[in-house]
This record gives sequence, structure tokens and C-alpha cells, in this order.
Amino acid sequence: MPTSRRHFLKASLGASALASFASGVPGFLARALAAAQRAQERDTVLVVVQLTGGNDGLNTVVPFTDDVYGRSRSTLRLPAATLHRISADLGFHPDMKEFRGLFDEELLSIVQGVGYPRQDRDHDGAMRAWHTADCEARGAPGGWLGRAADLAWNVDGPGVPAAFVGSIPRPFGLSAEATVVPALRSLEELVLREAQEHGSSPSDNPLLEHVRAVDRRARSNSLRLEPLARQDSGAAGYPSFSLAQDLHQAARLIEADIGVRIIYCELGGGGIGGFDNHANQLGNHCALLRQLAESVAAFMRDLRRIGALPRVLLMTFSEFGRTVSENGRRGTGHGEAAPLFLVGGGLKGGLAGPHPSLTDLVDDAPKHHTDFRRVYATVLEKWLGFDARAVLGEEFAPLDLLRP
Amino acid sequence: MTARTTLSRGSEAGPAPADPEQAWQPYQPGDGRPWNLALAAHLLRRAGFGASHARLQQAFAAGPQRTIDVLLRPEADAAAFDRAFDEHEAAAADAGGEHALRGWWLRRMLETPHPLQEKTTLFWLGHVAADGSRAGSARLLQEHVRLLRSQALGDTRILLASLLRDPATLLGHGAEQSHRSRPNERLARHLLENVTLGPGAFSQEDVQEAARALTGGFVRDGRYAFVAREHDAGVKRILGRQGSFAGDDLIDVLLEQPATAERLAQKLCRWLIADEDEPERALIAPLAAAFAHEHDFGKLVETVLRSNLFFSARAYRRKVKSPIEYALGLVIALEGVVSTTELAKDLAALGQELFRPPAAKGWAGGRRWIDEATLARRHNLAADLLRGAGRYGDRLDPHQVARRHGCEREDSAARFLVDLLLQGDRDLDAGALLQAVHGTSGGPAAAARALARALARFPEYQLA
Amino acid sequence: MKLRDVLFLASLLLLCPRPAGAQEEVRAPAASWIPEDAVFALEILRPAPLLEMLCGEKATALVTSLPAYRRNEETKEFQDFLGLVKLLEADLETDWRSALARLTSGGFSFALCPGGAALLIVDGSDADMLQSLHGVLLGIARAEAEKQGKAERVSSSEHAGVTCWTFDDKGAHALIGTRLVLASSQEALRAALELQAGDAGASLATVPAFQAARLAALQDAAACLYLDLARLGRAPRVQRALEENRRNPLAALLLSGMAEALRQSSWLAGALRIEQDALVLEATLNEIERDPQGPAAFALPAAPGDGALPHLALPRRVAAISLYRDLARFYAAKDDLFPERTSELIFFENMMGIFFTGRELTGEVLAQARPAMRLVVAEQEYDLAIGTPLVQLPAFAAVLELDEPEEFAEVIEEAWQKALGLINFTRGQQALPGLIIDRVTHGDTRMTVAYFSSAGAEDRARLHQRFNFRPALALRGDHLILSSSEGLARDILDALDQDARQAPLAGADTLIELDGGQLASLLEANHATLVRQNMIEKGHTMEEAEAEVSTFIALARLVDRLELCAGSLQGATRFRAAARLNVEAPAR
Repeated sequence: MPTSRRHFLKASLGASALASFASGVPGFLARALAAAQRAQERDTVLVVVQLTGGNDGLNTVVPFTDDVYGRSRSTLRLPAATLHRISADLGFHPDMKEFRGLFDEELLSIVQGVGYPRQDRDHDGAMRAWHTADCEARGAPGGWLGRAADLAWNVDGPGVPAAFVGSIPRPFGLSAEATVVPALRSLEELVLREAQEHGSSPSDNPLLEHVRAVDRRARSNSLRLEPLARQDSGAAGYPSFSLAQDLHQAARLIEADIGVRIIYCELGGGGIGGFDNHANQLGNHCALLRQLAESVAAFMRDLRRIGALPRVLLMTFSEFGRTVSENGRRGTGHGEAAPLFLVGGGLKGGLAGPHPSLTDLVDDAPKHHTDFRRVYATVLEKWLGFDARAVLGEEFAPLDLLRP
Repeated sequence: MTARTTLSRGSEAGPAPADPEQAWQPYQPGDGRPWNLALAAHLLRRAGFGASHARLQQAFAAGPQRTIDVLLRPEADAAAFDRAFDEHEAAAADAGGEHALRGWWLRRMLETPHPLQEKTTLFWLGHVAADGSRAGSARLLQEHVRLLRSQALGDTRILLASLLRDPATLLGHGAEQSHRSRPNERLARHLLENVTLGPGAFSQEDVQEAARALTGGFVRDGRYAFVAREHDAGVKRILGRQGSFAGDDLIDVLLEQPATAERLAQKLCRWLIADEDEPERALIAPLAAAFAHEHDFGKLVETVLRSNLFFSARAYRRKVKSPIEYALGLVIALEGVVSTTELAKDLAALGQELFRPPAAKGWAGGRRWIDEATLARRHNLAADLLRGAGRYGDRLDPHQVARRHGCEREDSAARFLVDLLLQGDRDLDAGALLQAVHGTSGGPAAAARALARALARFPEYQLA
Repeated sequence: MKLRDVLFLASLLLLCPRPAGAQEEVRAPAASWIPEDAVFALEILRPAPLLEMLCGEKATALVTSLPAYRRNEETKEFQDFLGLVKLLEADLETDWRSALARLTSGGFSFALCPGGAALLIVDGSDADMLQSLHGVLLGIARAEAEKQGKAERVSSSEHAGVTCWTFDDKGAHALIGTRLVLASSQEALRAALELQAGDAGASLATVPAFQAARLAALQDAAACLYLDLARLGRAPRVQRALEENRRNPLAALLLSGMAEALRQSSWLAGALRIEQDALVLEATLNEIERDPQGPAAFALPAAPGDGALPHLALPRRVAAISLYRDLARFYAAKDDLFPERTSELIFFENMMGIFFTGRELTGEVLAQARPAMRLVVAEQEYDLAIGTPLVQLPAFAAVLELDEPEEFAEVIEEAWQKALGLINFTRGQQALPGLIIDRVTHGDTRMTVAYFSSAGAEDRARLHQRFNFRPALALRGDHLILSSSEGLARDILDALDQDARQAPLAGADTLIELDGGQLASLLEANHATLVRQNMIEKGHTMEEAEAEVSTFIALARLVDRLELCAGSLQGATRFRAAARLNVEAPAR
């Protein structure tokens, strides 16, 4: 196997990258390179897991001592004894045992009360806000990770900064103006079925040189991916859920180390989404949270095994939380603030921010105290090393979640 | 292949002409700038979707200017072809929706007797960049393309004015309602920023005033409706002009601006000549001046295609093939027709999904078509097209094509395929290449397929 | 299926290589030549009636009249093939049908072993004919190999006293008297020869499960089939396929019962019989008891005499499905049956929550439906005053029986009208035309019907697809009818009048019937659409597309009726499929 890209990066990145470019480089490429260079200096990976449908935060991280919770949830109340407690008044849902384990190891942080101003309680509108990070509809092009991919793209490669792994259509968050962000069901799709060397003499055609360079990288990537793509997820300790299968593929993509910095997965089946429990919520929500907890735990074990835990950060999000009260159909309505999870090796761990009040509500839903774009700014700026302001269009203060 | 002797590697095209006047003069083959098969293929790639052996030979025999005459005014009955395909598309859009419509459009690109018209329609699709997911009906998208096609090589003034009444354009830019009290600025902004003037050539006030001119336009039940009482008939001030403008007047005002002609000429040069290395303003000036006068896009295309610049080294292989050019070029060269619904799915994965431009600026294109993932997928697509079984079946048979043109033996068939797909761009030893890519078993048909796959993987082949 | 492939298979049988030397009768049954770990075995014991049905004069006339055949007839490959057949006929001094009959009179045995090795044993009655056929084919294979400069590909070697041949260094074969043994590899052939020579371990014939399966296949079978389910169930691909089934609730509803029975059984025995013009396949599982408490018990008829109901006789019926499924039990077991929570499932639950005003879905709604339920699909007749859609979809309907029709009638009516209202609201938001709700009567039954206005339709010969739908809800007695079209709902009411109350087919959990002629008629009505679709999906020219669509329609017409029945029948889990062929059907 060729020397890994990371070794190459560590050895060669510095002042040399720009200088090595011939003076004839078009201006826009030089600018793109300068913007991308900072992003290239790290090899951290962000894995985003979208929980489609609006996850019920109150039944995920449960404030079991709060009277309002007990009173409001006549059929959905989770008995305190079944919870996996993490503090005197909070506990994980009974089916999230693994998250408690990750929390204890300081591999998991809970950011509580996340939302945004004038939250849209319509699925499309709210998902659009999370995908674009443009809550005021100023007309930012594409999705936030698509813009990040466009910024990270570098003429000198690697040229695939982001990828979606899953079977639903690629979420809008990855829509880029110029970068073709691939949607993969399996890594096999990037493995070349045939390949050859094209011996060549130097050319004065920059496009030809570009294609040649990409061709070399595509072939070397393919060699790395090929043995990994065939690995069995069961043997690697993953359960059979779709999310676990997708995360298994994501781990292989990370292991192949081909420069993909952003990986996106989904739980809930796209469309309106499995988390949208307006009726009979209890059993369905249990099933989904179990899938989330077991899949993510298997992913973390796998990352530890391949030594990638320190450079991977997983972030969950859902378009909104749910109402405090039940709706008479053993379900809940669309709400606002909810907790989101960060999981990985570079975290400080623990709880960030207080649990939102259940007495100071907006239309029966907890209010947010942390704008989700502050979390975005944290993962972009502090974790990936990207220019968060360029991606988000304005300055958001990052949160203090990561270990220095 | 008879024209082989006229090729010499590295000198497919002459040097770039120095001054603007000479650049746009019609290219006349001569000393140092010979007409050859590589240039014929270059012309047919840019003005269409590639060519079969017969078309290539025809173009080589006819010479550049005569070939361009036919490209602009095909001898075959293009109108009858278009009518038949319009009917197929309308029925397919009703029955099978957008995906079936994509299949039929790709099929049309494969079979059209007027490839330049289809290629220019594709240019306009990306330029107008309406988001098809908002149209709600494949029929509206079909009408949209029909409109683009009708004036693709025609009067740009008519085209732009018609687009303001085209349901798919309005829906695609979120402009299906424009009330007098709340003028919808989205289409107005898009028109100024992306379709005509370009960024920096207008102010926010111009956008607001242009939006007022467009008030009263609605899409109801899939049809355009002009509601007079919702139209703001008052005086607007746009780009220094003043009047009680409506949509058509707005187009006139925009076309009057030199920036519009310059921008369209510039963009067309990128489309036909080179992805990068933008022509200087002085070089664009004569083109823009001619276009500003008549708004004749066909004339603009004609001037560029006939020019010395187009046949110079500044253009030759200076574009990256779009996924459509890559795939259709292969299919057309190998004289087959394949499943275009399957192809539409593969093209989407390569970044070019018809009716789904990634941004209001259309497809970025150029070197952005090629990265490690899309290149791997291109190779795998060629492998699928040329497997002889599976999704695409055995519809492409390079061995049969070679035989049809008198290249029966394995080595002559190999030579034939190299010339068909790469012309003289690479000084390849066809026989050695064949040995390298092909094992010992499988017979001549499998050998020819393996060779065609290998040629489609060459970096040169990714360039238009 | 491609005609060329069929012809190729037929020719393969004809052209099978023949054994050298040995003239004595082969006595050992074919099964004793098959390794004991075979996963699948098919034995055609009496080929004559099968051959008569598939290659007889009538069938040949039919095949040769198919458009695809006629198109293929003109190709060079096909002419070459016919030439070869003629050559062989001359060489063997007989016609191809008689030759085929003589070469295969003793039957075929086909087996698949783990790792993909395949074995085909053909027993004939004419060793000389086998020999001379092999001779001709050997000559052809040699000539072809030499032409490609690979003469060494055709070779022979001795093994266990028998000559083993290979024509293409992949497959291998040997001739022993009147027996021909074909194998997918030289190793597989050697294994078979070693078994017959008694040098190797046990054969399939000694496996108790195989013996039991042979017994289970009835005596008069023309062919019997054996599947080692225990071994098959361990194959990763099979496991994955079963896992897939767990992602889709509808697949689970239809297939979980059968999948569970397959999982618990160690073998499957099948018998193929010919009854007049029908081809009947009956499969039996050895399965122990089906678990009445297990997650798949929802498809298990509860009391003796329970089972799926006979189909309703309806005009223009394309397909009928009659099921015995306890919906409440099914849904209660969803965590075991389909653990993934898909978007569609949650959407379904949310909607049911709204339609049924918060009633608990499993216990208060689904429990109302008795387990015997019927689904029908029928071609539609369109009201000429409204017009005909460009794409003609069939109508489909579900007929359920309610436990407490009196109490539940208004609940279901309310739910239905809420659903229509929600559809209208959603369509309205998208600026699409909505449904108009009407109450009509049929006899003394009141129905709720909803329809789209056709006012202003421009071309009545090619209406939008929505005009295929005129959803109707009718309640009569304890029957609940939900139909996509008013016409089908009326036909069902008439049919219920006529066959009053039929006794269920005891033990059956799934009955399916498909009417080929009606399917052909439906396809015919969409001919132009299918041709267009075929052109872009296959890259065909219009002529090619028309030939393929016409062939498909002719094949549909060929199957007069296809009947499937599954359940606990006569003391075992059985599956019966009968295809009644319409060999008199005029091909277009």
C-alpha cells in the first residue's frame, strides 16, 4: 500500500504547496488553493448522522425528576428505574445503554437545548434550515456541508472532501455548487473494475495534467478501498441495522484514508422520517434509539480498533424536538429545542449547557438556548479546521467541547 | 483508416491567432494548419455529442466550413424528427414522469439529425438553470426544453421574453407568484445576475425595479397567467432607463446593455472553446458587438465554430467532457443505442442530472467534472456499457463496428478503434495495448470491448 | 427470457457428448452419482410427457409464431443453429424430436453442490446415437478451437476408467453407455465418476432426508425436486435475502409465514406432474410443528377448518389474492418481523392515528379485521362520457370482514373521509385538482365514492393517470370493501351476492390466481406506452420494442391461468403451483 495521505500531508504541507505551483496558475485556482490549504492541514473527519423526523429529546435524555415531564407524558413516560442515569436528574432512554457507556468514557458529549430563533415547525422548513444553516433565508447557495466541500476542494487534490453513505437520496446539506458530492451505497462504487497505467509525456495542457493526476489518485484510492469494501460488517461487530451498515462503510472510508473529511449518514428512512412519532411513539422510538445507540457504539469500537478514534467526530442532529405534552394519540407534536450528541475521541465529554426548562415553554415545546450554528462553527472551525465564517456566512461563537 | 497518414501527434491544431480580427476569421486549412481527422472529431464533439466513423470521414472529406454549413442547416428533416420525438416525450412525461423524460431527451441527443441544436439547447438549460424539482410535473419540463430548443439557435430576445411566461422557469426559480404589493425578486435577480448582465453590473435597486416589471405573473394549474390587476403598471427606473416597463420591455432593457452581450459571448466561448484561459475582453468585443445588434444566438455560435480560434491549440482538448459528452460520445462512436433511463441514473451520479442544476449558476463543469470519485465512476460506466452483458446488455459491439468498416483482423480492428476514439492524440501501439488489456481467452468481440474500455479510460479521452 | 437462450439450452441437450466404449446398461440410479452434500437436486423421471408438452407439435407451432422468434429467425446465428440441427438430423438419420426422446428417455438428474458445482446426468436408450452425436460435436468443437488458435482447449483424459472430455477448459463431460454426465468443472465430473466407481464417500441416494423427500414426492410425478434447506439456510446470500424481507412490512405480511416454515424445515420435496394442459408443481416441507406462539403465527389458521377464502368470481379479473392473516397479531409482532423503522411505516402509523382518532392501532383497529381477507386486481372499463386515460392502470380492491360491523361502520366511514380530505388538502397545497366526494347506492348498499372532475379535459382519449382512480368504500353486512374504482366495488358487491358465504379452504394461508388472458388484454391496452418504455429502458428501436412487447403479451396469453396455494394442507406445509397453458392461443 502506498504511503498514506496523512504521512504525505505531514511531511509536505507547509509553505511549499503554493510555491510549488507554476506561475501560470489561473487566479481563481490560486485563490481556491489558498482557501483550501488551511483545511488540508488536518486529517480530522466529521461524521454527521441525521435523525429524520424530529427526535423527541425529552425521551432521549430524560429529565426524570421533573414533575412536568411526569405529568405531561401519560403513556410515554419512561420509568426512572429503567433509565441509564448520567446525573442526579438526567438519564438516557432505556434502549441507549451503549450511550451511557460512551458517556462514562468521556467519548460522548451532550449539547442540550439546541435550536434556532423563530424555529420552523414544518419538516421541510426546519430541515432546510439545518441543511442550509441559513435560518434567515438570505439565499446562501447549497447546503452547509456542500459549501464546506466547495471551500475544501483543492486543485492539487484530494478532490472528494465529502460523501454521503446510505440508501436515501443525498440530503440537501451536502449540495455543493461546484463539487460533485457522491452518494454511496457501498464503497465498491469507487473501486475500479479495471485499470491501467497510461504512460505519458509532460503536457502543456493543464486540464490534461489535472485528469492525469486525478487518475493516479483514483487508482491508488481504488487499491486501498478494494480489500476494505469487501469486509464483512458482522465480523467487525456491527448489528444488521441499515445505519450500522452505513457506519461500517464510513469506517472503511476513514480507514482507506483517501482524504474524505465529511461523511454523512441517516437514520429514519428519509422522507418525513421515522422520528416523526405522532402516534404510537413508544415502541417505534425505542426501536430507533436502540438502532442509533448500538450502531454508533459499534462504529466507535471499530474506529478504536483501526486507531482512528482520535481523528473522528460524530455529530447527530434532528430538525426539531417534540412537544412536552402528548397529543391524545400516544404521540407528540413538532417541537423546538432538543439535545444533540457529539461522539468521538477528541471530546471533553459530559453535558454542555443546562437542560431546558419545562415550565418556560414556547407553544408546548422547550426553548433553545444554543443556536445550532454554534455547534456547526465548532465542528467546522475547531475540529475540521475550516473557515466557519466563510461557510456559515456570519460569525458564530464556537462551543468549548473539544480537547485542546 | 485512410486518414491516418494526415495525423501527426502534437500538431492537431495550429497556434492560437494573435489579434481579435484574425481570431474570428473563418478557418481555412493551409500550410501549418492542416485539416485532419483530429480537427474533424474536435468539431463534431463541440458542435454535437461526438461522431461515428462515417460522420468523421464525411466531415474530413467535406472540410471544415462545409461541415459547419450542414451542422447549422442539416439536410435531413430535423423538423419531422423533432415532431416525432415531441410526441414521444409528451407521452413519456405523462406516463413515466421526469425520469422517462430524461431517458427520451438523451435518446434524442443520440439520434438527432441536428446535434448542434440539441447541444445548444443543453447550453441554455444550464444557463437558465431552473430547478426541475419545483416544477411538479414532467410535462412542464418538457415544454421548457421545447421552448429552449425552439430558440436555441434563434432570437435570444424572443427566448428570454418567452421564458418569463414559461411555467417551469417561474416555478424553478420560486417565482410562481408575483403580487403587485409584494414583487417577487427571485426571478428578477436571477435574470440580472446569472442570465444577462452578470454580478456587479447592477444594483439592488435595479433588481427591485425589475421585479416590479414582472409583477402580475402567476403559475396556476400548470399554466402561466398574467393577472392585470396584480401588475404594477407604474414607472420603473432600471439601469438608467425609465418607463412603465413590463416583462418584454425589461428584456429589451437588459439586452441593450453591453454587459449582456459580453457575458453571453464569454459564456459561449467557455462552452465551445475552452474551460479555462478565458478570452480577453478585446477578443470578445467583436462577437459581443455583433450579438448586441441582432440578438441572433445562431449567428454567434456560427461565428465561433467557423473561427480560427476554434480550430487552434487554444481550443483543442481544452475542455473536460461533461458526463453526457463522455457517455453519449462513446455510444455514438460505437454506433449503438443503449438504455437511456439507465444512463440517466449513471449521469446523475457523475454530477449531471438533467433538470437538476446544482445551483442557479448551472453546472460548474470544467475540471470540476473530474475528481477521484467521478473518474472512478466514469471508468466503471464505460466498463458497464462495454461489458457485453448486464444492465446495458450487448448493445455496443466494437468488434462488429470495426468489421462493418472493413477491419476484420484483430490488429486492424484495434487500430480502427484507436483512431475512432482518440484519433492522433496518443501515439499508441494498438497491438501492444490490446495485448496489455486483454488476456488470452474470449475471442475477438471480447478483445475489442476490452480495448474500447481501455481507450475510454485514457486521460485524453476525458477531454472534449 | 430470451428465445435464443431457450434454443441454446435445447441444443445443448441435443448436442450432449456421448460416452465412449461401454455398452452395458447403466444400472445405478443417478442419485448415487451425486455427492451427498448436494443442496438442490432435480430429477426428471418421465421426460416424455414433458417433452411432448414443451417441444410437441403444438408448442413448436406456438413458439415459432411468436414475434420474437420470427425476428430471430432472420439472424445469422439462428440460421447457423438451424443448419446444425439439420446436419445432426441427417447424421443421426432421424428428426430432432425423436432423437431428443431417445437420448433422454431414461430421465435427467440435475444437482447443485455447495461452492456452485453443477452436475447434469442424462439417461437415454440409444448408446450408438449418443456416441455419434458426440462425434459430430467433438468435430465442431475442434474446428472452432483451431480456428481461434486454441486447439488445446478440446481435450480428454482418463479417470476411474472413463474418458473425460472438455471442450473449453471449463465444463467437462463423460459418456458411459447410454448415460451422459455433464459437470460444471473437471473436479465435479471426477467426483461423480469416483462415486459411481465406489471409490469415494456416500452419495445423495444414501441421505435419509433425500430418501424421505423422494417418498414425499408422489408416485406419479414426472419429475421430483429436492432442496436441502438446512444447508441452504447457512448460505450467506440466502441469509441476506431473508434479512431483506425484514425491512419491508408488506413483504413480511405476505411472506413471513412461509419464510418461517422454510427456516424450520430441513428439506423441501417437490413433485412436478402433468394434468391435461396444466403443469403442476407441488412442494412439501418436512417442517416440524409450526409454532403457534411464534412471530409468524399470524399466518397460521387458528382453528381446524379455518383458512383462506375461495376467490371471488369477477369480470375482467387479472389477479386474485386470498390470505389468512391475523393483522393484529402481525402488527403486534413487528419488532421481530421488521425491526427497521422506516419513514413509510411511521407515516402510516401517524395517518392511522389521525384517521382513527387516536384508537390504538393494533388492539382497537386492526383487531376488527377477521383474518380471512381478499385482494383483487381487475382491468377497468372506462366511462366513455369521461374518457380513457393514456396509461390504463388496473383497479384493485381489498375485501375484509369485520368483527363488529355495527359498531365499526361509522368509525371506518369517518376514517375514509378523513383520508380523502387529507389527500385533497395536500393536493390543494400543490395546486393539483382534488377529489369530489359523493354518496351513491348499489342495490341497497350505500357507497362513498370520490372522483376527479373531468370538466375541461382536452383530449378524452388520453386523460391523466388520475382518472384511473375513483376510490370507493362500501360496507355490506360484515364485509368491508375498499376499492380504487367504483366499478370494481360494484362488481364485488354483485359477486358477494352470488356466492353468499363460501367455506374457507381449511389450512390454506395463501391463495393466488392469475389470469393470463386478462393480463394480456391489460397490457394490450397499454401497448404504445409499453413500447415507448421499452425503447428507452432497453435502448431498442421501435421495431425491436414492438416485437418484445408483443412476445410478452403472447406469453401472458399462453398462461391461461396460474394458481398458487400455500398452507398447512393434508398434515404438512405444502405449496402448490399449477400453470394451465393455453396452447391453442393464437399468437399475434
